Amino acid sequence: MIDKIYSYIKDKRHANIFFTVLGALIFAIIPLFTDVEASYLIYFLFLTFVHTVIAQGWNLVAGYAGQISLGQNAFFGLGAYTTALIWLHDITKTGYYFDPVVMILSGLVPIVLAIIIGIPLLSRLRGDYFAFGTLGIGQIIIVVFLKARAITGGADGLHIPSTVYESIVPYYYTGLLLALFAIAVVYFITRSRIGLALRAIREDEMSAASHGVFILKYKVFAFAVGAFLTGIAGSLYAYYLFHINPDSVLNMNWLFYPILMCVLGGTGTIMGPVIGAFFMTAIFSFGDVYFAQTHPIISGVLIILVMKFMPTGIIGLKDRIFSRGK
Amino acid sequence: MNLILTLRVLVNGVLFGTTYGIAAVGLSLIFGTMRIIFFAQGTFIIFFAYISYWLLTLLGIDPYLSLIIVIPASLLLGSALYYGIFKEAAANEDKNISLLLAIGLMYLIENVMLVLWTPDPRSVVTSYTTLVFRPFGIVIPFTRLTTLFIAVLTAAGVFIFLKKTLVGTAVRAASEDMVSTTLMGINPNWVNAVAFAIGIGLAGVAGVALATIYPFDPSYGFIFAIKALIALALGGIGNVYGALLGGILLGLIESLGSFYVGGGWADAISYGVFLLVLIFRPQGLFGGSIKKA
Repeated sequence: MIDKIYSYIKDKRHANIFFTVLGALIFAIIPLFTDVEASYLIYFLFLTFVHTVIAQGWNLVAGYAGQISLGQNAFFGLGAYTTALIWLHDITKTGYYFDPVVMILSGLVPIVLAIIIGIPLLSRLRGDYFAFGTLGIGQIIIVVFLKARAITGGADGLHIPSTVYESIVPYYYTGLLLALFAIAVVYFITRSRIGLALRAIREDEMSAASHGVFILKYKVFAFAVGAFLTGIAGSLYAYYLFHINPDSVLNMNWLFYPILMCVLGGTGTIMGPVIGAFFMTAIFSFGDVYFAQTHPIISGVLIILVMKFMPTGIIGLKDRIFSRGK
Repeated sequence: MNLILTLRVLVNGVLFGTTYGIAAVGLSLIFGTMRIIFFAQGTFIIFFAYISYWLLTLLGIDPYLSLIIVIPASLLLGSALYYGIFKEAAANEDKNISLLLAIGLMYLIENVMLVLWTPDPRSVVTSYTTLVFRPFGIVIPFTRLTTLFIAVLTAAGVFIFLKKTLVGTAVRAASEDMVSTTLMGINPNWVNAVAFAIGIGLAGVAGVALATIYPFDPSYGFIFAIKALIALALGGIGNVYGALLGGILLGLIESLGSFYVGGGWADAISYGVFLLVLIFRPQGLFGGSIKKA
């Protein structure tokens, strides 16, 4: 039996699936063995799942398509605001908590934005323009949300009735499902023809175009899928926060976190962002508890050290150690 | 009366825009050789604004006089940072590593400043802070006029350095084509370090200038970096003179926007202009043909 499993996971493709399923099962049973409401572990894992989703969203755009997006906070905030607005005004008329329809809608609104800004910005050959342009989008959204007080509540934001909160368990499982969904989406995209096209674009845009890849279509597609994942994560986070404002869901951290996690774990790999999400969330949580004020300093030092000494991330480190042994 | 009011808005816009301009010139130089947008530029500007503030508060050194200390110190810091952090990454084909290093540096310095110097806004107050000139009823604060003067002087200095000195020629050559420049026997690290050091040096100048005219706090650095980036895009990326003009134009857009449309919207307007320029005129408003990336 063990022999069979071993020979099955020796193939790298199988190993990814095997460990993802194994990990999912372990995470699925953790709440059964812990004191759910008192345990910090559950909250920590919930945050890790949210971070995994946004990290995978960025990973697809930057890691596979090679386009550095600096506007992920706009998508996260847009997803959160969509959820809060639908919930408050009961637009979908379903009116229950954790409505999957609402969550999907919260992913679709960022897609619309991603397509509108993606087409003009991504049709330029130079990647820098995309990075700048997306940075501008996040800032415009913040200003518009602050000014449109009648709809978004301005700087104070929106309050969702927090009386519906019963337990963290549904959050935990929704987060786990979303994280698995994000991993699966990125995994299957990158293993398809689309993934091949994206990698070709990342390596050499000119060459990809001359081989008949419709560059703009694929880049916008990757950007839109990334926006979808980020928006859904924002939706889940809004359900958890109950009070959302530009400070909490549109701030720059939501732009830096996914980048940090991907970079630390290994950009352009499937498991890299997951590992990165675990590490970063652990460092943030540890820092929050023991030295609340200084933990961003540690994260800053960490980014510099990682980029300087292991620019391919933790996943790359593994490859480097093994290749050195040969 | 209305004309004078408009003139006042215009003059103030130009005067404030020069600070963006200095920052954008620094960004432009670093971009020219290293091909990255140095996101931490704004944070360094705020850092040097604090240095100028502490020199005044603790040692009683006048902000303009502190330039004598700040400029060499920032040049040294710039070359140390290049050789300490960016050297390997700059040689790498993948520019994202340098970009992320800059983001990490920004995050680090901003939070160190937050812890050391608290998020309370500070401003440099001297005997001449309230001094104003009133030619034709237009109010021109002395400090802003000095800023314009410093900006023009700095831009001229950078211009002469690039045109007349051998090192400057090497920097210009490297911005055109790094590979050929290296083949001509120029050490790419040396050129990169020079450009980087001047970039940080310009952040020092901009920091001192900013400290005298505007209250600042650690988180303002990122906003300032974006403003400098907008100025750079308006002027044309990789174009030193355009960058200064772009900064002035941005200052004008902001002051006209906040006067005629309303305070909070000025930001949205400048980002809107920025996006439009990126989409329709990526070579910048003052640039000729698009440069090779």
